[in-house]
Amino acid sequence: MVLSPRRPAVQVDRLHRYFGTTKAVQDLSFEVYPGEVFGYIGPNGAGKTTSMRILATLDEPTYGDAMVDGFSVVDDPDRVRKRLGFMPDYFGAYQNVNVREYLDFFARAYGLSGMERTRAIDRVMEFTLLDRLALKPIDGLSKGMKQRLCLGRTMIHDPSVLILDEPAAGLDPRARIELREMIAAVAAAGKAVLISSHILTELAEICHRVGIIEQGQLLAVGTVDEISASAETISRVRVRVLGDPSGLRSWFAARGDVRDLEESEGRFTLTHEGGPEEQAALLRQIVSAGFAVIEFASKTKSLEDVFLHVTEGRVQ
Amino acid sequence: MSDIAANVAAESAHAPSEPSWQARALARLEDGLAALTDRANPILVKETRQALKSRQFIVSFLVVLVGCWIVTLAGVAVIGPEIYFGAAGPEMLLAYYCVLAAPLAVIVPYSAYRSLAAEKEENTYDLLSITTLGSRQIVTGKLCSAAAQMFVYFSAVAPCIVFTLLLRGVDAMTVAALLVLAVAGSLALSMAALLVGTLSQVRYTQAVLSVALVMSLLGAFWGAVVIAYVCLFEEPIPFGDPETWLVSLLLLTLYVTTFGLFHAAASARIAFPSENRSTPLRWWMTVQQACFVAWFAGLVAYMAAMMAVQGFSLINDLSEMLMAVGVVGLLYWYVMGTLMTSEWPHLSRRVQRSLPQSTAGRMFLSLFNPGPGAGYLFAVSNFSMMCICSVAMLIALTTWYGGTWGSRQETSLYFFVISWGYLAGFLGAGRLLISLFRRFAFVPLAAGFLTHFILLLAGIGIPLVIYLMSPSSRYFNTYSLSQITNPMITLVTLVDDGPDAIDALTVSALTTAAGVVMLLLNARSVAAELHRQRTPAPIRVIEEDAEAQQEIRKPQSPWDEDEAAASAAVDP
Repeated sequence: MVLSPRRPAVQVDRLHRYFGTTKAVQDLSFEVYPGEVFGYIGPNGAGKTTSMRILATLDEPTYGDAMVDGFSVVDDPDRVRKRLGFMPDYFGAYQNVNVREYLDFFARAYGLSGMERTRAIDRVMEFTLLDRLALKPIDGLSKGMKQRLCLGRTMIHDPSVLILDEPAAGLDPRARIELREMIAAVAAAGKAVLISSHILTELAEICHRVGIIEQGQLLAVGTVDEISASAETISRVRVRVLGDPSGLRSWFAARGDVRDLEESEGRFTLTHEGGPEEQAALLRQIVSAGFAVIEFASKTKSLEDVFLHVTEGRVQ
Repeated sequence: MSDIAANVAAESAHAPSEPSWQARALARLEDGLAALTDRANPILVKETRQALKSRQFIVSFLVVLVGCWIVTLAGVAVIGPEIYFGAAGPEMLLAYYCVLAAPLAVIVPYSAYRSLAAEKEENTYDLLSITTLGSRQIVTGKLCSAAAQMFVYFSAVAPCIVFTLLLRGVDAMTVAALLVLAVAGSLALSMAALLVGTLSQVRYTQAVLSVALVMSLLGAFWGAVVIAYVCLFEEPIPFGDPETWLVSLLLLTLYVTTFGLFHAAASARIAFPSENRSTPLRWWMTVQQACFVAWFAGLVAYMAAMMAVQGFSLINDLSEMLMAVGVVGLLYWYVMGTLMTSEWPHLSRRVQRSLPQSTAGRMFLSLFNPGPGAGYLFAVSNFSMMCICSVAMLIALTTWYGGTWGSRQETSLYFFVISWGYLAGFLGAGRLLISLFRRFAFVPLAAGFLTHFILLLAGIGIPLVIYLMSPSSRYFNTYSLSQITNPMITLVTLVDDGPDAIDALTVSALTTAAGVVMLLLNARSVAAELHRQRTPAPIRVIEEDAEAQQEIRKPQSPWDEDEAAASAAVDP
């Protein structure tokens, strides 16, 4: 099924999910568009899996709704299921079944028949590089192979929206790179991907946008740069000047917006309060003060920095 | 000559090889089978593949096979030369039947139960439920898988059972009846086991249910063996008697309707919460009640025919039977009513989209809508209908025979009036209590059922304590109005000792009044539920349905294209 570019592929609208007194998800709202990879990050117990399970029609929200291609996950789960592939953070294995039979079962369960089913299985096995293991029992597969098979099962009915919960967990570096390439290829085909992971460096590489969730609430949504910019009230700056640096040290020491000053081989590293505009002003002031600046750099925040800055590490 | 042959052979080796007719036939068969499995339930295909590779299945199949061999060898050895002239069929058949009944009554149903439980334990149930398979398809697939296993076990024992026919003393009809009983029983047990498998997600409860199920299945195995023994040695089935076939048909009706009800219940248990899980169950209850009443009407007609032919009255027997039917109906609708009145009162938007819309639909089908109020009225209406039909049959038969209205008929009449009052009263009071509790807390179905149960226990227990503490009542063993809330004592005393023993007029007036009061107290919420209107489907759903319709209307032939063009010209 092809997604309409006019409509969000996933639209989460004021989603709440309570388990007794525990508020697993509180007022969650965001959108994912066709062709987009949306990273979903947060500490353990933040509500990522709960909200993903609701999107996958495995659970009902206490309040609010979520739409997949315009269909409510509460009211039209059968229509949502046709469009959605969900890869949970566990591998549900059947006993005494080989790779091809496993995929064949899910293809049948999604209503594929005849040559359509055969083609879907072949396509998925080729995509996930499982074609050489077709007759291998799934009990004997390695963790990486199981993850591939899990991804293959998720894609067997060619869904337009993929929800992947920790797909890279436990994979070796090569398998992670391959998985990343697979996800990029899926997004390039116009599908929407919602992915959660603890390996933030990888998410930063493949995600168009990320959402940071903690205690069931969405703290920030946007591209990594947008979130870093909005979070940049403090930055680490590196400065190097020609000549004797001691003058610059006392100049910095006199300023109220600079702290954690460190000096190594004539290069200063400091924490400066303020965003990019304040940094530019600082550079201007250093030059105006008569120092010959040969290096001025602010460290770009990684997704991990942003995550640590935005979240507080609280769990429910 | 040999050179020519060699050349021909060489040429034919180089020519594109034509597949042999066997290969073509095999390929065609394979294609046919593949097309057949396309139509089969995916769970059946997967579980058959799994079963054929599973150690448990292979071991149990071999045990059955070896069991048959041991029975055959031991049986032949014990019977000795008598096997040539004696009638050893029944003994051997019973032994084979025991070997067959073990897997059919215990292993197959328990495997069905485990199959569903294992889906949850091994985290595959989530994967299954997000596919496009519906809950009914999942239950049917598990059931078909149990049936497939059953027939494999059957194939191991079948030659041995045929062998018993050669041993004399047993006829093919008895063998067939016992085998049908085994198959039907195994399917019913598998269905019940699947329902049990859906009842709880809690590990502790599952363990308790599992033990209870195994005990029940062992009991069923023992029951099957006893039935076979009775049929073979004590009381052969009278196939020549038409009543045998009538009773079989009655049992078949009961079997099919109960099976359907269990299937709907198991499907409802695993369905997505926003689905309509109640209406299919209500349809099955209605079908079951209709069949029950129809059979009873048939029985009354049969009795009338007997009375006409033999010239003596069976009206007192009919009264007794009607009261027995009334007890079954009262219990049935009470249990079903407790479950229906414990349903959640709010309808999901999805269910609201499928409510009956037309005047006729709203008039006749609103009672099938989910909800405790509609459920209460549904149970009371059905039981009322049953009471009316029973009393009408009694009056019709008495009038037709020209008989007088005797004591037993009067007792029957009071019985139905009082029973109706109890059903409407207890269910109504329970529903009100549940609604009250729901103002303060979430009350799940099980808690609702428990509320009804405690209410009934209070109704029985409080007057019982008063009775036990009252020396005069105990001494004279008399019924007093203080026991009116105890339906058991009241109805048993009425049936055993007649209307005078309980002051039936007063009791029926009071119970009916209680029932009517409860109906009135519930009337507002019942009416609110019945007045619910269908809500329109979201635009996105309408859009997709319209697209699907257009897909269907795509021209399939040049004539269709002409038609499409013509309609486009008319309707630009």
